[in-house]
Amino acid sequence: MSNTETGLRLKSQHGTTIALDKDYPELVGAPLVINDYGCTPNSEANPNRYKQHGFHFNADNCIACHACESACSEKNDLAPHMAYRRVGSIEGGTYPDVTRINISMACNHCEDPVCLKGCPTRAYTKYLEYGAVLQDPEICFGCGYCTWVCPYNAPQLDTEKGQVQKCNMCVDRLEVGLQPACVDACLANALDFGVIDEIPKKQQDVKLTIPSFTDPKISRPNIRFQLNQTLPESFQRLDDAPVRYEQDTLQTKNAATDGDAAPHYKIKGKKSKSPVNWGWDKLRSREDPLVLFTLISQFAVGAFLALFLLPKVSSTAAELFSSKNHPIAMGLTLFTIVALQTFGLVLSTLHLGKPQYFYRAMNNLRHSWVSREIAAMGGFYGLIAAYSLVTVFPVLAAWLPDVITNLLPTVIGSAASVFGPLGIYAMYRCYRIPARPFWDHWHSGAAFASSGFILGSSALALIFGFTGLWASVTVAPLLRVLALFFAGGLLLQGVALHAHLRELTRRGEEAAISRMLMTEQHGKIYRLRLMSWRFLMAGAILFSLFPPSTAGGMLSWALVFFIAVAHEMIGRALFYVSVVPTTVPRGFFWGNQRFENLARTSGLAERPEVGVVMHDH
Amino acid sequence: MLFGRLHKNPIQLPVKPVEKWVYTTCGYCSTGCSLEVGVDKAGKAVTARGVENADVNRGKLCLKGIYEYEVFESKNRGVAPLIRKDRADPFLETSWDESLRKTASEISRIQALYGRDSFAIVSTGQIYTEEFYTLGKLVRGVIGTNNYDGNTTLCMASAVSGYKRSFGSDGPPGCYDDFEHTGCLLAIGSNLPEQHPIIYYRLKEAYDRRRFPIIVVDPRVTMFAQMADMHLPITPGTDLVLLNAMAHVILKEGLEDKDYIQAHTNGFQDFEALVDQYSPEMAEPICGIPAKMIRKAARIYAGAGAAMTIWTMGINQSTHGSDGVVAINNLNLMTGNIGKPGGTSLSITGQCNAMGTREFSSCSGLPGYRQLENAEDRAFAADFWGVDARHFPEKRGLTETDIFPAIERGEIKGLWLIATNPMTSMPNSPKIRKILEQLEFLVVQDAYADVETAESAHIFLPAALWGEKTGVFTNTERRVNLVRKVVEPPGQAKPDLWIFTQLAKYFERAKDMPFAEASEAVFDEIREASRGRLCDYSGMSHDKIEAARGIQWPCNDKNPQGSPRLYTDGQFKFSDGKAKLIPLPFIDNNEVPDEDYPFWLNTGRLVEHWHTRTKTGKIGNINKFSPTPFMEINARTAEKLGIQSMDYVRVVSRRSSALVLAQLTERVAENAIFIPMHYYNCVNRLALGLLDPYSRQPAYKQSAVRLEYVSDQAAAAKSILNERTY
Repeated sequence: MSNTETGLRLKSQHGTTIALDKDYPELVGAPLVINDYGCTPNSEANPNRYKQHGFHFNADNCIACHACESACSEKNDLAPHMAYRRVGSIEGGTYPDVTRINISMACNHCEDPVCLKGCPTRAYTKYLEYGAVLQDPEICFGCGYCTWVCPYNAPQLDTEKGQVQKCNMCVDRLEVGLQPACVDACLANALDFGVIDEIPKKQQDVKLTIPSFTDPKISRPNIRFQLNQTLPESFQRLDDAPVRYEQDTLQTKNAATDGDAAPHYKIKGKKSKSPVNWGWDKLRSREDPLVLFTLISQFAVGAFLALFLLPKVSSTAAELFSSKNHPIAMGLTLFTIVALQTFGLVLSTLHLGKPQYFYRAMNNLRHSWVSREIAAMGGFYGLIAAYSLVTVFPVLAAWLPDVITNLLPTVIGSAASVFGPLGIYAMYRCYRIPARPFWDHWHSGAAFASSGFILGSSALALIFGFTGLWASVTVAPLLRVLALFFAGGLLLQGVALHAHLRELTRRGEEAAISRMLMTEQHGKIYRLRLMSWRFLMAGAILFSLFPPSTAGGMLSWALVFFIAVAHEMIGRALFYVSVVPTTVPRGFFWGNQRFENLARTSGLAERPEVGVVMHDH
Repeated sequence: MLFGRLHKNPIQLPVKPVEKWVYTTCGYCSTGCSLEVGVDKAGKAVTARGVENADVNRGKLCLKGIYEYEVFESKNRGVAPLIRKDRADPFLETSWDESLRKTASEISRIQALYGRDSFAIVSTGQIYTEEFYTLGKLVRGVIGTNNYDGNTTLCMASAVSGYKRSFGSDGPPGCYDDFEHTGCLLAIGSNLPEQHPIIYYRLKEAYDRRRFPIIVVDPRVTMFAQMADMHLPITPGTDLVLLNAMAHVILKEGLEDKDYIQAHTNGFQDFEALVDQYSPEMAEPICGIPAKMIRKAARIYAGAGAAMTIWTMGINQSTHGSDGVVAINNLNLMTGNIGKPGGTSLSITGQCNAMGTREFSSCSGLPGYRQLENAEDRAFAADFWGVDARHFPEKRGLTETDIFPAIERGEIKGLWLIATNPMTSMPNSPKIRKILEQLEFLVVQDAYADVETAESAHIFLPAALWGEKTGVFTNTERRVNLVRKVVEPPGQAKPDLWIFTQLAKYFERAKDMPFAEASEAVFDEIREASRGRLCDYSGMSHDKIEAARGIQWPCNDKNPQGSPRLYTDGQFKFSDGKAKLIPLPFIDNNEVPDEDYPFWLNTGRLVEHWHTRTKTGKIGNINKFSPTPFMEINARTAEKLGIQSMDYVRVVSRRSSALVLAQLTERVAENAIFIPMHYYNCVNRLALGLLDPYSRQPAYKQSAVRLEYVSDQAAAAKSILNERTY
C-alpha cells in the first residue's frame, strides 16, 4: 500500500474522500477570512483548495537542524516555551552502526479530528479549505482536554496565557500560493506539503506510519512518511519518556508477505532500575484538582442517590433520612454534599486557564463528552441545591399550592437522580481516550461508580449511625444495607482493577508501561492500596454482619470511613499519574519532561530563554 | 459542524508589520547567507527572511539566521563605557573620551616602560572587513606592537597555514558550486549539517539531483556520517595517518594524475618516499579503520574524475592540524583536484568574517595577504599608509595562543581584546583566568557587558553588533557580502570602526595618518590596497556587492563578476608558480586515554550555539534546544558506570573538572564522550589544548578524561545554575 499512483487518487489511504467540497457546496467559493481580510479565492492559484492537504515527512533526510520549528515559532510569534512544531529523535543500533531518526511533527489535521470533537468550547473548526483543522485561542478557555485526546501532542497548552494554541497550517500562506513556513525552511529535503497521498517531488513513498508514530486509526492523521534506510532491531528515545520501540518480528513477517518491506515496531517500557518504589514525589500532578473534583462528584451522586432512593424501599431509611425527624442531620448532610460539590466545581473551574469563560463549557454538547459532563453535573448540582432548600426549609415553598409543595421534592430529587448518574457516565466517557490507553477501558467507569458507592455509603453510615445513636433509633438494618453497598462498591472496584491489569498486559505498548508505572514506580503505594482494600472489605463484611449499635462501634466505622477516603484519593491520584499517553519523540532538552522538571526544581526555568515555564500549575 | 465555520470568529494569525526590508549578510558562521531584516514603522527589527536570489542560501536560513534579528533586543548589552582602577573595584560608567584617553595612555605607558611588544592585541573574526583593515592600520601603523592576533587562531589558523605551505598563499580555492560537479566528496572532521546547515543544504540539493559517493571521516556518528555512503569512524587525532595511507594506495595503484603532478607540483620524490611507509595495514591499528576500507576510500576518491575534500575543526583543532590540511592538499594535488569544477580543497570556515581578518586585518602580516617577512610588502604598506617602513617588524609576532603564556612569563603587561571571549574559548580556562589577572591593564571591547572576560577588565568599551553598522564580510567561498545598518546601537555603544578611528586620535603618531571614518571610504581604501593581489577587491563596491548578493574575489577588470575558483590555470603563489607536495611524518604527541583517564574527550559545536553563547544563549527560541551543559556518553558505558539519562556527572581531566548532564547515545564510542564547546566554565576547563607547531592552533578535540558519579544531584544542579548567567 505504500506506493500509490499519483494524481488520480480520489480517496486517501484511510479510505476517505480527498475532495472536501462535495458535502458543503454552499461554502465553496466563500472567502477564508484571515485577520478580518477575506478575498474571493483564486481557484487558478489554488486548484486544490478544497482537497485534504497534509505534511509529508521523509525521515531518511531529517538532520534535526530545527529550521522548521524555528521558522514556525518565528512566524507565529511564539514565546520560547511554546512550539507548534517540534523535532524529536529516536536512536537504535550500536556504535558505529547507529541509526538516529529525527522526527519533525506539528498538527496532522486529521480526518477525524478528536481535538475538535473533544473540545467543550467548540474552539476547533475543520475547514474545507485544505482540510485544515484550526483552533481559535480566543474561544478556548484552557481546559487542556484536547491535549489529552490528541495522539500527537499537537495542541499546546500555554500555561502562561491559559489557552491552547496549535499549528494553523499557515493557511494565510497557502491562500497566496506559498508553502507553510516550516516546509519552506526545511534544509534537508525532509519536509513537504501538498494534497494528501500525492507523492511530493523528489520523494517515492507515502507511508502511513514510521516507528514511534501512534496508530493512525485513532484519528486518521493527514501526514505521510518516507523511511527507506535499513532499520535496527530496537529504538530508544532521546527524551526520557518511559518507552522504547522493539521490532515485532511476527508482524514484520506478516506484512512482508503482503508486500510491505518495512519493519514493524512495538512499544515497550524502559527497563526500570529499582523495580518497586513508593514514588510519593511523583504522585502529585497538574491534575490534582481533578482528583478532588471527580471524587467529590462521585461521592455527591452516590450519597444523594442513597439519601433519595433508599427511603423509597426501606422504612428504616425513610425514618432516618427525613428532614422532619432529623432536621439537623439531614440539613447537615445535604448541605455538606452541596458545599463539597460547590468546592469541586470551583476547583475544576480554577483548573481552567481562563476560568472567567467557564460558561463556554457547554458549547459542544453535540460532540464533546466534556460538555455533556459539565451540563449533567451542572444540572445535578442545581437540582440537589434546590432539593436541599425545599426539603430542609419547606417554608420556602410553602406559599405554593399544596400539590406542588408535596410533589416538589420528589420531582427535583428524581431529576437529580437522573442527572447525577448521567454526569458520572459522561465523566467516564471523557476518559475513554484512545490516545491514553490506560484510561480507555471500562475500568474507568467502574472506578468512578465504585467511588460513588464507597464514599457515599460510608459517609451516610457514619452520619446517620451517630444520628441514630443520639436519637436512640435502631439504625442496624440501615447500616447493614449501607455496609453492603460499601462492600459492593469495593467488589466492583476489585473486579475492575483485576480486569484492567489483565487488559493492560494484553494490550501491551503504552498500556503495559502504565501498568509498570503503577505497580513498580508506585509499587509500594499500589501494594498499600491493595492492603487497604482488603482491610476495607473485611470492615464492610464485619459491619454488614454485625452492624454497630454503640458509640465504640461507630468510632471504628469512622476509622473505616477515613481509611476509605485516603484509599480513594490515593487510587485516583494513581489513576492520573500512571497514564502514559501516546507520544511523539522529543529532544534531550526540548520537550523532555524530565528536563523540564529538573529545570523547575533547580531554578533554571526562572530564565525565560531556557524555554521551560517555571510554574506549570 | 466539522466544516461549519459560519458562526465562528474570523481566523486571526500573527502579522509582522514590516515597513521596509534591510539587506544584510548573516553575522553568525562563514556560510555567508544573505538575509533581509524586516523593520517596522518605529524602526524596530521584527522579522527576517532569506534572500531568494542570493546564490549562497537561495532563500533559506538556519535557525540562528531566522532569529538573528532578536539579538538587537538581547539582554546585557554594553550601553556605556566602563572603567575601574582595580579588578576588585566595581565598574563605573564613564565617557568615551575618558575611556579612550585612558586606553591610549595605558598603551603608551606600558610600551614605554616594557617595550613596544609588551602590549598585545587580540581581535576576532566577527567584525567587518573595513573594521579589520582599520584596526590593522592602527596596530601596525600607529601602536606598533607585533603581538597582535585574531581569535581565528583558535579555529582557522591551521587551514591558513596549510594553504600557505601547499599553495604559497592563504585562500580557499573552491566554492559551493563544486558540489554540483564533484564525483566524490570527502568530509573529514566536518559535521556539515550541524555546523553549516545551509552549505549542507547546497550539498543535499546537488546530491539529490545527481548521486555521488560521500565519505565522512568522524569519530562520532553525526547525521552527516549516517547519511554518508561510507563512514570512517577514526581514532581521534590520527587523520594524518589516514590521509597518508590513502595517498599510499593511490600511488601504489597508479591512480594519481601524473601530468598534473609533473606540471604543477614540486617535491613529489620526497613525498612518495614518505607515503610509501604508510600502508593501509600500518594505518589500520592507528586509525582504527580496516585497511580494506582505506583502500576502498582511496580508490573511490582517485577514480571519481573530480573529487573534493571539505574539512572544519576536526582537522584544524589538532596537534597536527596544519599537517592535516597539507595532507588534504597533497591528496588533491596528486589527483589533479585543484582549481577545477568539483575538485578542490575547501576549508569550511568558522566565523562570519574569519576570512576578512585573514585578508585585511594585518594580524599575521600586512593587508591583502601581504607578509611582514617580505620587504616589498612592507614598503607597499608603508607607502600606502604614510608610515616609515622601518616601523614594521620584519617577522610575525606571537599568536593568541602564545600571547597568554607570554603574559604569564611577564613579557606582556597589557592586553586589548576585541569581540572575543578567551575566558570561555581558550583551552585550560582556569589558567587563563589567572593569566588575565596578571595584566597591568586589560581593555575589553565587546557588544555584551556580561562577556566573561570582562570580569578581569579595567576598561570595557561597548561595541555595536552586526546590523547596527554597515560593512562587509567574506565567506568560506571568498564571497564578499554586505551588511547594511538595520538599527541604531543601544545606548552609547559604538561601531568598532568608530572606536578604532577615535582611539587613533589619542596617539601622536596618527596625527599625519588619515583614518577614513565612513565604512564606504574604508572600503575604497581596501579596494586600492587589494589591487592585483589574490584577494583582489578592485572591481567591487558596496552597491555592486548588494546588487550581486555577494561577489567572490578576485574581482577585477579581468573578472568583473568575481571568480568562483582559484588556481584554475594551475599557477600557484610560490615564485615558480608550482604547488608543493610535502612529506608529512606522523608524530603522535596527543594526550591519549590511559588507566586513570580512560575516556577520549571530543568537543564540537551544536547548530543552536554560537561563539561562547554570548548571543545565542540569550535568544530563547534557539537556546532552549540545549540551554545547559551536557555530554554525549555511550549508552552501554553509562550502564556499566551506573549513569542514567539526565544525571549530573563530573568530568575530570588532568587540568580541572566540569559538571555536565549525561545524554545516553550510541553516537559516541564506548571509550569516548562528547561535550559541546560553547558553555562557559565547561569543556575548556578540561581541554589540554596542545599547540600545532605551524599554526599554533590548540588541539581542543583530543584530551583524556575520567567520569565521576555525582551523589548529590541537587547540589550539582545548583552549582551549574550559579556558574552561568546565561
